[in-house]
Parts: sequence; C-alpha cells; structure tokens
Amino acid sequence: MNRDIVARLRGFLDSTCVVEDETELLVYECDGLPLFKNRPDVVVFPKTTGDVAQIVRVANEYRIPFLPRGAGTGLSGGALAVEGGIVIEMQRMNRILSIDTENRIAVVQPGVVNLHISQAAAPHGLYYAPDPSSQMSCSIGGNVAENSGGPHCLKYGMTTNHILAVEAVTSGGEIIRLGNPAGEPIGMDLLGSIVGSEGTFAIVTEITVRLLPKPQAVKTLLAAFHSVEECSQTVSDVIAAGIVPSALEFVDARTIEAVEASVYKAGYPLDAVAALLIEVDGFRDGLEETASAIVEICRKNRSYDIRVAKDDEERAKLWLGRKGAFGAMGRLAPDMITMDAVIPRTRLPEVLVAIDRMSEKYGLGVANVFHAGDGNLHPLILFDSRHPDQVDKIFAMSEEIMKLCVDVGGSLSGEHGIGYEKKDFMDLVFSEGDLETMMRVKRVFNPDGLLNPAKIFPSRRACTEVGKHATTSTAEIGKRVEAILLGSPEKVQR
Amino acid sequence: MTIDGLPPLKVLRPDTVDDLAKLISNEKGAIVPFGAGTQLSFGNPLRSADTAVDLTQLSRITEYVPADLTIHVEAGVTLGQLHRTLLENKQFLPLDPWNGSAATIGGIAATNAQGPFRASGTIRDWIIGMKVVEVSGKISKSGGRVVKNVTGYDLHKLYTGSLGTLAVISEISLKLRANFERTATAIAQFGDARAAAACLASLRTGPLQPVACVWSGSNNEIWLRFGEHAKAVEWQLKNLPKDADWTAHEGADEAAVWEQLRQRYNGFGPVVVRVVGLPTQVHEIIEEYRPSGWIAHGLNGIVLMRLDSGDEIPRIRQKYRVVIERAPLEVRRGVATFGITGAEADLMKKMKSAFDPDGRLNPGRHVDGERL
Repeated sequence: MNRDIVARLRGFLDSTCVVEDETELLVYECDGLPLFKNRPDVVVFPKTTGDVAQIVRVANEYRIPFLPRGAGTGLSGGALAVEGGIVIEMQRMNRILSIDTENRIAVVQPGVVNLHISQAAAPHGLYYAPDPSSQMSCSIGGNVAENSGGPHCLKYGMTTNHILAVEAVTSGGEIIRLGNPAGEPIGMDLLGSIVGSEGTFAIVTEITVRLLPKPQAVKTLLAAFHSVEECSQTVSDVIAAGIVPSALEFVDARTIEAVEASVYKAGYPLDAVAALLIEVDGFRDGLEETASAIVEICRKNRSYDIRVAKDDEERAKLWLGRKGAFGAMGRLAPDMITMDAVIPRTRLPEVLVAIDRMSEKYGLGVANVFHAGDGNLHPLILFDSRHPDQVDKIFAMSEEIMKLCVDVGGSLSGEHGIGYEKKDFMDLVFSEGDLETMMRVKRVFNPDGLLNPAKIFPSRRACTEVGKHATTSTAEIGKRVEAILLGSPEKVQR
Repeated sequence: MTIDGLPPLKVLRPDTVDDLAKLISNEKGAIVPFGAGTQLSFGNPLRSADTAVDLTQLSRITEYVPADLTIHVEAGVTLGQLHRTLLENKQFLPLDPWNGSAATIGGIAATNAQGPFRASGTIRDWIIGMKVVEVSGKISKSGGRVVKNVTGYDLHKLYTGSLGTLAVISEISLKLRANFERTATAIAQFGDARAAAACLASLRTGPLQPVACVWSGSNNEIWLRFGEHAKAVEWQLKNLPKDADWTAHEGADEAAVWEQLRQRYNGFGPVVVRVVGLPTQVHEIIEEYRPSGWIAHGLNGIVLMRLDSGDEIPRIRQKYRVVIERAPLEVRRGVATFGITGAEADLMKKMKSAFDPDGRLNPGRHVDGERL
C-alpha cells in the first residue's frame, strides 16, 4: 500500500488505531467464513464518527477500497477485504450512549455487542429482541448491516423492525442521519434500505434501537420425534393453530449427538430423529393454556418425549444445547460450514429429505439445526480441510442446496446475507433486470463502488460495476482455497 | 377526473401486470398511478398528469398459503377484500389505515398509510416482497415469498412511502398473523390533558401491551385496544390504569367505536398534519400547538393535528418532523409536504433521478416538488 495513505491515517488516528503489520493483519483476513481469505492492506480503529468520515475521505482521495467490520462473526464473507484496502474496524466505538426507559429506546455505537444492550436494559425491565445465535459476540453495527435474525425473530421480527434511526457516513465521507426515534418513515424509507445492505450503502456509526418490555412469563419445551415428517408437521400445526411461538427451533439427531457429547450437554434425547425446542412468552394469564395446546399438538404428531422446563435453570439448559450446537460440531468433524437458506415452512419435510440424500451423494456429513418456525434452514456441512477434495464438494453441495431451496419457493439467505459467499447464486433468484435495479440503487449510495466492493452481485456483474478494481470469482477463489487451507499465505488475488 | 386540478389526457386501466408494463412502456408524458383514489391529494402538488393509470383491475390474489402465513396480491386488491379472504382462515394483516377498507394494498404501500394499529408497525413491517413496473416498462422484483429473507436489497422498503415516484407498485407479498383469540377496546375520559398524559406515561412503563393506544379530543379520551389470548386480554382489562372510568367494547360494538374514531379523523380539516416526536413529547406537542382536534399515538409519539391553516407548519417544523396528511391544494403549493432537507433530501433526489431521470412518474409529488 502507498505509504502516504498510512501516513495520512496516522495523522489523525492514534498509533494504536492503525494496524499494518503483516502478522497482525492475519486476524482480519476473513470473518466467520474462513473458506475465503484475503488480507487487507491496513486496519484502522476509529473512535468517533468524525474519524470514520476522515478515513473514508482519505480512501476516496486515493481511490482505494474500504469496508466496515464489526466483530467479524458474519458467516457469508461480508467483511472480507476482497480487494484489500482499508478495513474500518468498529469495535472501539462500543459505548451505549443512552437508555431512555420511558420511550423504550437505546442509542448505541455500532461496536456494542448485541447482548450487552439487553443486559444494560434489563434493570429497567426492557430488552433488545433480535438475538442472533452469536449475540454474545456479534456487534449491533454488524446486525444492522446484515439485517440479522435469530430464534426470537419468528414472533418479534428481524433487526430491520427494531432499528429506529441511524447516523451513518456515506461512501463519500458525508455524515447523515436517517429515521427518527418515533420509528416513523418519512418519505422514502432510506433507513429501511440501509439495514441489510451488507455494508455496501453506508457505514453506520450510531444506532437508535427499540427496546421491548420483558414478557411477564416464558414457557420453554422440548419435544422429541421418531421422524422428520412428524416433527415438521408439528411446526405447521402449531402455526395453523394460530399460535405464534417466540421461538420454534429444530435440531436433528446428528446435532443432538454432538451437543450431548459436548460441554453444551442439555439432556436432549439421544434416540430422537428430530426434536423441537419451542418457546412461548407473553402474559402469565393464558400462557399455560398456550403451552398445553402445543403439548397436545406434539402428542397428536406422535412426539414420544415432551419436556416442559419447570424453571429458568431448566429453560437455560434446554437453550444451551441449541445455542451451543455450532460449537459442538467440533466433536464430529474438524471443520464445518454453516449454510443459510430459507424456504416456505410447509416445504420442510421434502427439503430435509433431499439434503439428506445430498449428504450421502457427496459423502459429507450434514447436521440440521435451524429456525423451523420461519423456514430458515442452517445445514451444517461437516468436512476435513486436510482433504482438499472435500472443499470442492462443499462448493458443489452448497450450490445444489441453494438451487433446491429456490426451486421450492425459497431464497438464498434468511439471516446471514449474501456477502461474498453466495453472490454467484443471486442469478437463481433474481433476473438480470432485478439485479440491474438493485445495482442502480447501490450506485446512488456508493457511486464509485469503493465501499465494500465485490459483494452481493455475481462476479461478472461486479467486474463491470467496479471497473478498475480487480475482482475474484468464486471459482478462482475455490481453486486457491486449497492452497490457503494447506497453509500457503498466498493472497486470493490482487 | 382531475388530480390536483389537472385533468389527465387519458386514463389507462390495465388488466394484468404485463399489460401495465406494456402500457407504461408506450407512454411518453407524465404518469400518475392510482388505486381507490383515497390518497390522491397526499404529497406535493403534481406538476403534470398526462396519463392516469387506474390499478383497480389488478385485483387478483395470486397466491395464498395459509399454513405459511403469507399472501401475494396485486396492487389493486383492497384491504377489505384482503381481510375477507384472510378471515376464512382466521388470519389478518394488522393494518387499519384511516382511509378505510376501500383503500388498495398498492395505495397503502405507496403512501405508507396507517391508522390506530400503528403500535404494530406500518405496512413496511409486513411486506416481504414486491414487484414494480419501472418507468421504462421493465418489471423488477425485490424480496420474495418467504417470511424471513435477506437476499438482495430491501427495495420494497424504498418503494413503500415513495408515492409511486420511483416505480409503479404492481404486486405485493405480505406476511400475516393469526387472528387474536379475543380483542377488546377500553375507553376512558380524563378531566384534563395533564391527567390523560399521566395515564399514557403509566402505560409506557407499565405491564399492559395495547395493540392500539390513542389519545383524542377535547374530552381527553384514551382508547386502548387489546388483542391476545383471551385470558391475557382479560388480565389487561382488569389491570387498566386506576383513577378512570373505563368502558370496554367488544365485537360489533368495538368495530363501531373505532369506526367513529375513523370518522372523527376524516372530519378533520381543512389542514391535517402528522407531527413526529417521542412518546414522552405527545403532551408537550398538544399543549404547545393547541390544535382544534387531534389523535395522538400514545406509544409512538405521533400526533395527527387538525389546523385551521398551513401557516403554523413552518413553526412546528422548527422542533419536530411534520408531514402534511391532508390540505387544500393552495396550502400544499405553499408548504412542503414532507419537509425533508439536507443530505437526506439529496439522497432521495438522486434516487428519484436514478429511477426516473426524466421525472415522469408522479412529477413533483415527492422531494422533487418540495418547496422549502
């Protein structure tokens, strides 16, 4: 990288806020999707919105790419510095600026960890509803970028339904404010457009979130089944009965096996083919009846083991297995890829059977643990990176899974985003014309394409779009993944 | 027919989305889409109106999968038609815009119309996908047919509330919810504004979860609607704020009282504005501007105010965001409808140019017509 650029950045940032050492940069060469790696040229740690604006202006002046990064927990390569350049790491902007209990809002900086908002609001009987599985480590800024979901989004909605206003730095370095604390869109909903734009429209530097009152009571139960069909039918029947659980989670036998052998042991039945973790919350009055109605539906669908948590301790234990499932997969294989797709929930049984067949075809183990209530699948593909042929199979299998989900009326991502991982699948869902319209909107926010380039749009389109910046196709990266996994420090492409 | 005093040269009535696309691609001048016509005077005054496009023939429910809690409708489907269909499966869409059940879904989305149910969000929170026809005649889509989806940009949010100035909304996919087991509305009058405000304050920090919460009128009435499991509704009715004489309404009686409130709003005039503040500012807004009539969303900080003229709007804008909901043409000619300024306005103007470089879709209606 041009030494002048680093000197300029050091001109207004503390020495500890600029990282350019090759070894230290290794930490930032990928996010939660380690299949794709590329080292940025420099990582900066702004402390204020003004810092972010200045960094962006320097990047514009030198025409180099830049992108925001939060906790790096994203699973679609959204924070991958595909073309190198400047990674703007938001973790030091991590203060909760205010909690207004009477208006039920909190104003926070983007580096605040999701769970910390709820913890700060808890003494006031309030909480922040969207809860990605990574909520103990993911940042709210990343949640805004990805429009993150989580188990409780079934009842309470996604991140976009809980963000009232933001301050952001545009791709040109201008500071803007969008939305208002009343959550009232005025005119075009630019705020709603920025949430979920995967860091390609602007860099969010302050966020006003809606807080909700904690429910009076919660009931959590686990129902075990001998077949996927009966388990899936239960999901449909609960919804058809007019019950809106606050969470409706599916875990399969392989997941149970991994969880029960791990520190996340939750007492899930080892002989189950599939199980549902169901939670309802709300007013104390009526909740017992709702829980009983769910138990009845589970029984009707031949659930052979139904456990209702008696207290918070038991409830926490039931959730421990679900929340720890990804971590527990290490018991089954050295490496794992978390897929994310969404289907109409009525198509669950056939899709799960088809994925099972693919697992056999490719010889790769698949565990299924996902948000069944809203059809958000997370096949976890297990592999061993010491066998490069398995990496090729992952690419092929993930493509087949995406095609299957789209064919049954679903889509490519329920909560992780498209990022770098799935950009070449966008053609499965959107026509050339649809993508052209999306790109037109992107150009309004990000006319030079310097902000988080080579994301979301298929490679050939991104090449046209970005023009002067080299881009790397998934296929090219796929070839180089092998080298990377075998320990070569070679960059994907510069 | 005239729109903002302008008589369109012709009115097109496409039967299908493909027809709509074909007709629009053949047009040269200003295009003014409309549905039931209930919001035709909302927005800045139109600059021209060569072709009006009546979307009411696009009234098909293209797919309804009750078990998935999703429905896909053409833009001309009315809210009444939608609710009648959903009722068969004990489902509904929690929207009750003031312009009533004759309003079309496309019109509700284009204007982001809302009503007392504001506590559950606006239509933007229920739309999961959209098809639009762009000014070139190209049909494009965003989102999809599943309730949870982050594939591509949420352009349907951008189109929602953009008054048909970016593209013509032609099909909308919505997520739904199951009917409440029971609903009930409790209404009480308070001696003065201070007492009503104190009641709202206790609601904001208390355990009740009304799905609609309104403060209206010189009698300082508070209206609370509850919808939930029957026992939860019962508990809330038993735990209403003390020191007030609450009357509960259910069934047809409940529908009738909300209809009265709707009529009260529709009787407001000549100028009605939406003042956007914080929930805790509702009392302050009413005290400071002393409107001759108002309906406040106590949990959202939104006050719909009846004004005698548009003269006061610039003063209110010094403190709050204000949208003109309804006003005679001469008022709208003099005062901007949205009052959007600065970088936000610049972005919206760029967006308008990106979609409609020649300014042919509802010209002047949105930021391109703001006179500040």
